[in-house]
Amino acid sequence: MRNIKKVAKWEYKKNIKNKSFIISLLLTPAIFLLFSFLPGLIDSFGKEEAATTVYVKDELNALKNMEDTLKAQGIEWDMKSSQEDMTAHVRENENTAYIELGESTLSEGVVHVYTNEVMSSEFSQQVNNITAIVQMLQLESLSLTPEQTHLITKGMTLETIAVSEETVETAGADPLKRLVPGVFAGIILLSVVTTGMMIFQSASNEKKEKVSEIVLSSITPAELMQGKIIGYFALGITQVFVWIICLLPFFMWKLDFPIMEYLLVPETVLLVVIAILGYLLFAALFAGMGASFEDVDSTSNFQGIVFVLPWLPLFLFMPVLNDPTGWIAQAGSYFPLTSPGVLLMRLSVLEQWPWMEIIISLSILLVSIWFLMKLAGKIFSIGILKYGKNATPQEMLKWLKY
Amino acid sequence: MKTPILTVNKIGKSFKDKRIIKNISFQVFEGEIMALLGPNGAGKSTTIRSIMGILYPDEGTIHFNRHGEGEIPRQKIGYLPEERGLYKKVSIMDILLYFAELKDYPLKKARERALFYLKKFGLEGKEKSTIEEFSKGMAQKVQFIAAIIHEPELLILDEPFSGLDPVSQDVIKNEIRNLASNGTAILLSAHQMNVVEELCDRLLMIHRGEKVIAGTMEEVKTEYANYKCVLRGVADIEMLKGLPQVQSMTHQGSVTTLMLDAEVKPTQWIKHLPEDVNFHELSLSRVSLHEIFIDIATDHLPERSEQNA
Repeated sequence: MRNIKKVAKWEYKKNIKNKSFIISLLLTPAIFLLFSFLPGLIDSFGKEEAATTVYVKDELNALKNMEDTLKAQGIEWDMKSSQEDMTAHVRENENTAYIELGESTLSEGVVHVYTNEVMSSEFSQQVNNITAIVQMLQLESLSLTPEQTHLITKGMTLETIAVSEETVETAGADPLKRLVPGVFAGIILLSVVTTGMMIFQSASNEKKEKVSEIVLSSITPAELMQGKIIGYFALGITQVFVWIICLLPFFMWKLDFPIMEYLLVPETVLLVVIAILGYLLFAALFAGMGASFEDVDSTSNFQGIVFVLPWLPLFLFMPVLNDPTGWIAQAGSYFPLTSPGVLLMRLSVLEQWPWMEIIISLSILLVSIWFLMKLAGKIFSIGILKYGKNATPQEMLKWLKY
Repeated sequence: MKTPILTVNKIGKSFKDKRIIKNISFQVFEGEIMALLGPNGAGKSTTIRSIMGILYPDEGTIHFNRHGEGEIPRQKIGYLPEERGLYKKVSIMDILLYFAELKDYPLKKARERALFYLKKFGLEGKEKSTIEEFSKGMAQKVQFIAAIIHEPELLILDEPFSGLDPVSQDVIKNEIRNLASNGTAILLSAHQMNVVEELCDRLLMIHRGEKVIAGTMEEVKTEYANYKCVLRGVADIEMLKGLPQVQSMTHQGSVTTLMLDAEVKPTQWIKHLPEDVNFHELSLSRVSLHEIFIDIATDHLPERSEQNA
């Protein structure tokens, strides 16, 4: 175990000091933030440039109420009271509108809104907010109490409850309760699998740089492989940690729900365990294949296929989300290469977790990891010393028999 | 009396149907430089990899005398493999400290030793450089330091002189002598027979996986190296024909070489030279290790070597 730790420490230190790793570590959250908030930012600039001027002929004395309501909605019009008909003015000035609020508005239930040809794209949505104000005025004119008015304006919500033995209690639960831990575990899986891909590079480079024989004079091939797997796992977790530190404050500021409350639930533990198992599965593949491979630049080698395997669950993304209990989702949960990704997707959207399926697929996953580690260990211990060539599938099969 | 550090007893190894080494036995003693020789493909690297525990022999035993049965004291062995390489993008000091750490050697002491040897090998101030910035010879010196940084009790050097210029060869040779005089047991594989002759106390020569010659340098020379008589500037080589106890005679340019029988007594044989033979220079010496090596590699080994092998 001490030797495994030494190798893990070496691989971690070697990469954490690497400039390109540091750049990508910091650039990823920066790019994420840029693409998350830049469109909104640009949009807000656009808004400032094109503040809509709205003239209101207010015979109902509702302007103050309108301004307050719209402001509460985050809508900022340049509102001006007008006693005259402003339609001619609106025709000639871009981004202007004219609203008439008179007795006929209440009796007929129609609000006349005159706009210029050139209006901001949001105006037609924003203007809908005044219908609620007019409706309130209508109800007030019928001498209803504020409670009665509130009851009527509250509207009607339709709540569908699927009744079964298991779901009665949880129906109507908050979807974010599952989704947030699922997305978090997904980020961990993504991070550790991408750093896990570096195991391939590391083993391949060790072969290319002909250094493995010196290392193996001090430790066993199994210790070297396990050290690499743990080292790159630590690197992946560091990456997640840095991403969280960079991104979490922004999310807490921008998103309107308590992320930490959603994250700190027992479900997160299982989801993270699934992500870690996924890493171990692919890490074994990367280590074994990397040790059989020397020329990374060569494109005609079958070892490259291994890079595609972690992304297989993406092909099942839509079918699984459309029907998380369907046969594709189930099959994907039982197939080891797609199991971690598909399980995370399913468990993020299912309100009631299918525990039996989870236990079966985790059992299959664990056996597969054990089996792959054994195979990778054999290929690694022979392949890492075969300098100067890429192994063919036939050679690798031969090594497995040793 | 010197104690054995390593005892290899009748080891053999096959890959599929191919026999790589067979019945190889030898010992390496404390403070001794032992040469493991043989043509390419003779089985030297397989023997070394078996000692290192990188390969496992199919038969026979390998025992490190100061340690338990079956235990490979990796922390006490230094190894310079034939295939050279180091991490390209990591500083020299980091690499040396990593290898020292793998050997459980204290890092503070390792740093001191690394700086000491870098200075000794003319690489002072280069500890922060990467191997990419080094020439082949400089990189090889770093690899040699990596092999000895943890003060091994057994040092295995596979072709330590290949690719080195004569100056660097001397630096490494002197250090090997130093280490041996301080008690390190050294197993050395090399193709430069003159260096082996100069440096090693004993040798084991293998060919096609089997031992063909073994013993101290003197024993080997006495046993396997016949005398040869080299004459320069002989005017009439016909006069040398008919000399007794001559196995063969070759003539190249102005140099005539007479290979003599094993039983020749040189002081008596020289009296058979014709009195009026004219030459500029005469030398009578045993054939070199290099020539013995060539004989083995080309399957011209004298019959008697089989008896001793």
